[in-house]
Amino acid sequence: MIIPRIYSIHDRAITIEFSQTIDEHINMQVIAWQQEIESNPFPGFIECVPAYSSLTIYFGADCNIEELKNQLQQKINIVENTSHLNIAEKKQGVQHIEIPVCYDIEFGFDLPWLTTHLNMSIEDIIQLHIENIYRVYMIGFIPGFPYMGILHSKLEVPRKHNPSLKIPAGSIGIAGKQTGIYPTEIPGGWQIIGRTPLALFNKLNKPACLLKAGDNVRFIPISKKEFDQLQ
Amino acid sequence: MSITILKPGISASIQDFGRWHYQKDGIPVGGVMDKISSSVANIICGNEVNAALLELTLHGTEIVFNEDAYSCISGEGCNAYINNTKIEFNRLLKIKAFSILKTKPTRYGCRAYLAIAGGFQVNKIMGSASTYAASGIGGINGKNLTTGDIIHFANTINKSVDHSTIQIGENGFGYANWHVNFKHQHNNSNHISIDCVKGPEWNLFNEPSQQYLFNSSFTVSNDSNRMGYRLEGNELSLIQKQEMLSSAVAIGIIQVTPKGQPIILMADAQTIGGYPRIARVSSADISKLAQCRPGDVISFNEITEDESYNKLRELDKKIDQLKISIAMTNR
Repeated sequence: MIIPRIYSIHDRAITIEFSQTIDEHINMQVIAWQQEIESNPFPGFIECVPAYSSLTIYFGADCNIEELKNQLQQKINIVENTSHLNIAEKKQGVQHIEIPVCYDIEFGFDLPWLTTHLNMSIEDIIQLHIENIYRVYMIGFIPGFPYMGILHSKLEVPRKHNPSLKIPAGSIGIAGKQTGIYPTEIPGGWQIIGRTPLALFNKLNKPACLLKAGDNVRFIPISKKEFDQLQ
Repeated sequence: MSITILKPGISASIQDFGRWHYQKDGIPVGGVMDKISSSVANIICGNEVNAALLELTLHGTEIVFNEDAYSCISGEGCNAYINNTKIEFNRLLKIKAFSILKTKPTRYGCRAYLAIAGGFQVNKIMGSASTYAASGIGGINGKNLTTGDIIHFANTINKSVDHSTIQIGENGFGYANWHVNFKHQHNNSNHISIDCVKGPEWNLFNEPSQQYLFNSSFTVSNDSNRMGYRLEGNELSLIQKQEMLSSAVAIGIIQVTPKGQPIILMADAQTIGGYPRIARVSSADISKLAQCRPGDVISFNEITEDESYNKLRELDKKIDQLKISIAMTNR
C-alpha cells in the first residue's frame, strides 16, 4: 500500500505525492483522484494539476487547509486500504489519439547524431518510436507540452548540454524515458526526431490543448508530402 | 473612451487576478504581481478587486488620456505626474481629456498599478485579460504594452464611490476629498524581511544551507522578472545530490538550482517544476516581494504553516474592510 505524503506549496494549494517514480499505475492513480475530485468538488475547490506521481489541488479563501489535508488523508486511506486496489481510472474522457509524424531528417534534425550515439539506423529508431503506445503523464513546461512515456529503453538518451535556441512548433523530442511534442517554437534540450503537422495548442480552441494527462498517443509515420498536405 | 500608450517605460502590461482552471494544460495563472496594491487601486475606483488594470514596472511610462477618466494609482516603484504635477497615490482622481501621465524613478519598490473606474475593456482569453507574454496570451495581442497601443475603458463609476466633489484644477486633474485608511506594507527600504514556511524538500538540504536561508540575506539579481526572482547569496546544497521528479509549483515557491542558486517563482512561473523546494514565501507576503527590485536585499523569516495561512486570511479581511469602509464613508 502506498502512503501518500500531503504537503502545502502555497497557503491555498496542497500536493498529494503518491511516489517519486515515473510509473503508469501511479499516474493512473493520480488521474483517478483528479477525476474523483473534479467530479465531486468540495466547497472552495478551484482546480487540480496532475503531474507524474502527484496531484496538486488549488482552493479558495473559504476552505481550511488543515481540515482539507485531514479529509483527503482519510479519504485516501479508506480507498487505498479497504480495497487494496487503486481506484480505477474512469475511462470516460481518456482519448486515444493518433499523431502523424514526419521523421524526415529535415524535421528530425538530431537523427544523424542519434544514429551514432545509439549505434542504430534511422529506420530502427523510427520503428522503436512508433512501436509503443504512449501515456500522457502530464502537461507542463509550456502550454500544451505533453510529457509522454515510456520510451523503449534502447532509445534512452540524455538531454542536450546546450539547449537548441529554436525548436520549431510540432517537433517531436526524446529525453530519458520520455517523449514529448513542442507546441510552440521555443528553446529546448530534447533530441528532435521528427515533426507533426498537428497543432498541440491553440489559445482560441476549446479545449486549447489537443492532449491531456491520462490520454494515449500513437505516432503514425508520414511522408514529407503528406506532412505538407496536412499542414 | 480610451488611453494611448506613448511610452511603455521599463515594462507595462495589462493584468487582472490571472487565468485559473488551466494549469493542467500548462498555462500559468499569471496576473498581478502585487495583489494588495492592485486591489487598492481598483477598490478606490469602485471596480471589482480583480478588474483589469495596468501594471507599470519601475518608471518611464507615458500615457495620454483621450477622454475624461476617474482613475487611481497604487503601489510603488515610481513617482507619477499628470501634466508635470506630481500626484498622490491611493487617491481617486478625475483626469481631464488629453492629460499626460508620466512615471519617474524613485528609490524603492518596483510596481505601480493604474486603475480606471469602469475598468479597461480587454478581450479575455481563457477567462482572464492578464498578459502572459511568453506564450502570447492575453492583454493586447498577447504582448506587453508598446507605444501606440490604445486601451478602451467603460465610462462608468460605481455609485458607492463618492466622486461628486472632485474639482478639476489648472493641472488637468483633481482629487476626491476622501482618503483611504489602509496601512499596507510599503517597502520604503532596499532591505526587506519576507515570511517563509519550510518547503516540501526542506529536509533534503544540508544544515549549513538551512541555516543560510534564515540567517543570511540574499540579493535580488538583475535576472529577475515576472516569472521568477533569482537570488544571489550563499550557495544552498542538498545533503546528497539527487534528481527530483517534476510536480506542480505555485507562486512563492523557493526552488534551488543544481548550482545552488535559489529562485522564487513569481506570477508567470511554469506550472510544473523539478528543482528541490527549500521553502515557500508566505502567500500574504507575495505582494511585498513583488515590490522588490533587482539589487534589493531579502532576509527570510521562518513562520509556521498555520501562521502563514492565518496571515493570508487576515489580509483578505483587511481588503474586504477597505471595500466596506469606502462604501460607508460615501453614503
